[in-house]
Amino acid sequence: MIRLLPAAIAAALAAAPVVIMPEPPIAVTALAGLLLATVAIAARWRWPATAAAAVFLVDYTAALWLAGARVNIAGAAGFGLGLLYLLESLDLAGRVHRAAVDTAVIRSHLGRGTGFGAATLGAAGLLVAVAGALAAPMPPAVAPILAAAGALGVVAIIAVFVTRAAARPSTRPRP
Amino acid sequence: MTARVTPLGLSIMAVAGCALSLAVLSGRPELFVAALPLLLALVPLALRAPALDHRISHEVSRERVFEGERVTISVTVTARAPIPLIELLGPLPAGSAVVSGRHRAVMTVGAGGTARWSYELVFPGRGVHDLGAIAVRRRDRSGVRTWEDRHVDSKPLRVYPTIAPLRSLPRPAYPRASIGDYVSPAFGEGIEPADIRRFAPGDRVRQVNWRASLRLGELYVTQHHRERNADVVLMLDTLAEAGRTPETTLDWSVRAAASLATAYLARKDRVGLINYGGLIHWVKPAGGRTQYERLADALARAGVVFTYVAKDLAVVPPRVLPPRAVVIGITPLLDARFARAALDLAARGFDLVVLDVSPVAATRAALLPSPATDLACRLWTLERRARLAELHRQGIPVLEWQPPEPLELALARARRRRPRLVAAG
Repeated sequence: MIRLLPAAIAAALAAAPVVIMPEPPIAVTALAGLLLATVAIAARWRWPATAAAAVFLVDYTAALWLAGARVNIAGAAGFGLGLLYLLESLDLAGRVHRAAVDTAVIRSHLGRGTGFGAATLGAAGLLVAVAGALAAPMPPAVAPILAAAGALGVVAIIAVFVTRAAARPSTRPRP
Repeated sequence: MTARVTPLGLSIMAVAGCALSLAVLSGRPELFVAALPLLLALVPLALRAPALDHRISHEVSRERVFEGERVTISVTVTARAPIPLIELLGPLPAGSAVVSGRHRAVMTVGAGGTARWSYELVFPGRGVHDLGAIAVRRRDRSGVRTWEDRHVDSKPLRVYPTIAPLRSLPRPAYPRASIGDYVSPAFGEGIEPADIRRFAPGDRVRQVNWRASLRLGELYVTQHHRERNADVVLMLDTLAEAGRTPETTLDWSVRAAASLATAYLARKDRVGLINYGGLIHWVKPAGGRTQYERLADALARAGVVFTYVAKDLAVVPPRVLPPRAVVIGITPLLDARFARAALDLAARGFDLVVLDVSPVAATRAALLPSPATDLACRLWTLERRARLAELHRQGIPVLEWQPPEPLELALARARRRRPRLVAAG
């Protein structure tokens, strides 16, 4: 039962690029992603799920690039949330497999997911508004350099997060 | 407590990195937006770790059980700060099986809340286990960071071998001086009439046999047999075993030893134990309920320790192997060293009985049925028969037992052949 949620999310993620650009190569790539997701759901194996998410992402990029459609921020945020939910729901499915599960676990996960989704959509909207305001006075030639610098900055921030998380001293529960 | 990034966190990082790379390559802003939820999910990695304020306690319903009985393990988690997700992996010793519930639990505990979880284990085989360790994995709200720990609170559990009620027991040839249930050839205090003789000064009036006195015209008294107990030493062969746990020849031997010990102790005999194997362990003969606990503990721990060294029974102190004790060797006769030790004991004048636990059925049960298996088992049975006949020729009484038939059946078969055996009840 708990595996229906990632299956539904995977189907939606596979369908999104096909809806943007209904061409055979996009559909075939979506099917490949769906196949990986099916393996991940059936075997509760994490790495096919990560690979499926990457394939969906490549498919989505290709669809956007080939279609040359207008920028759809809500759709993109939804797609990103879908990727996150796919990974989280598969992780949860693996975790509760053959375990005594408290119903509060599922309830709290659903509540947290909903809250996080709303917060992300709000943050995306805010970010796009700020970006739009900043983009107007900026010369177009600077944009790719700025994007690359931004991406590098984000990767550097991720690296810092990981390093800090790994280096933090152990914390013991109080008696 | 060890903190680390979860595999989910690593997956999110990989996908986020992929999204950012594709965004740069394609120049589509949607991909930056798509990466945003993934990056936001990673933010807790940079935040300060929440205080781990919880307490875990667990209880085991029983400390001692017999094979096949159930034990309930109850775990309680009390949290002062909220725990978004905690995974607990309860003890599941080798050889045990979960019969009710799950030995792994995933739960959420609110601030000041308590969560409970329990499951039942069954132990088909004997042994001594510690049910004291619980693996704990706590995750943060986003699921990208985890803390792992082990809650250790020693909870030993002893699984004793099952006991079969026995009515027929090998009777000791030499009773001891203490009072017991065996009818001694010597005359004295007792309830079993032995003979009559003329009244002598000092005899009690209640000993007068009035019927004989009236018939013979003078006073006669009844003499009785003394009732004595005996020393019984169970010698367990732990040199080798055959079959699949918990139905190996050693498992059956241990069950037989436990049943014999219980039956003899109920008859007020002193019972001792020698584990004859790679390591020689012993329990000094004694009587009573405490002795049963000692024997059951030793039997629960009995295991095969392989060695090439032939162990000499001379290392066993005389108080463990008292003279005139009845020694019951419980063996599958897989190792010739045990047969040599038995012959040594018989030569030293011990009252020796060998209980032969047939390994053929146990081995056959562990193998796939085939004509080759049948043939091998038949040849093995013939070879063993020749070995038992050799022991018979040496004057050692051998009781053949083929588990899983009841031990009582083997003892009763022998009772029909050997007048030394008496009913215990």
